[in-house]
Amino acid sequence: MRRIQASAVAALVVGVMLAAALSFATPASAQNDSVVSAARSSGAVGEQADGYLGFVPGADISADLRGRVEQINIQRRALYTRRAAERSVSVNEMAAAVACEVFESRISAGERYRDQGGQWRQHTASAPVSMPSFCP
Amino acid sequence: MRKQALLLSGICAALAAGGCIPVQIQAPDEPIEINLNVNIRQEVIVRLERDAEELLERNDDLF
Repeated sequence: MRRIQASAVAALVVGVMLAAALSFATPASAQNDSVVSAARSSGAVGEQADGYLGFVPGADISADLRGRVEQINIQRRALYTRRAAERSVSVNEMAAAVACEVFESRISAGERYRDQGGQWRQHTASAPVSMPSFCP
Repeated sequence: MRKQALLLSGICAALAAGGCIPVQIQAPDEPIEINLNVNIRQEVIVRLERDAEELLERNDDLF
């Protein structure tokens, strides 16, 4: 009986420690801005016509950067999913609608982006962003 | 068997002590495929323009 109690206490202690670890594991989203936007500027990461961020092939992507970008995409997907449900449209359509806005106004010159056909391009002064055909 | 139960209860205690249910969001295993030629209805995109603008404005940290 005592042994069982001891085990239970041990399990509880482990549990509390786990909880503490979990609560400190929250990523600092404030830092996302600078790291990810630097990667966008350097052309390692770019906006895609599907409404998510993508990794430019051949770019050196650190595990840290990969994690941050994936977190952003997960949060974007959650946003799209919620709004799509509210509007009775598909998640892809909501994502595509956002991609239209992003392509129109949020891709700075020098940044790379992935067009509707899956091709990576660069927005330059002489090459404006090529809009997906589904955009208004 | 009993040990497993104890371990389980420990984990449950962890979740409770954490004060919140950790939302396990799995990153997609495969890269998200660009395949927008199917199932995107342009009239829907037009209708969603306002929503899209609003999402961008309200979630500046994600875009």
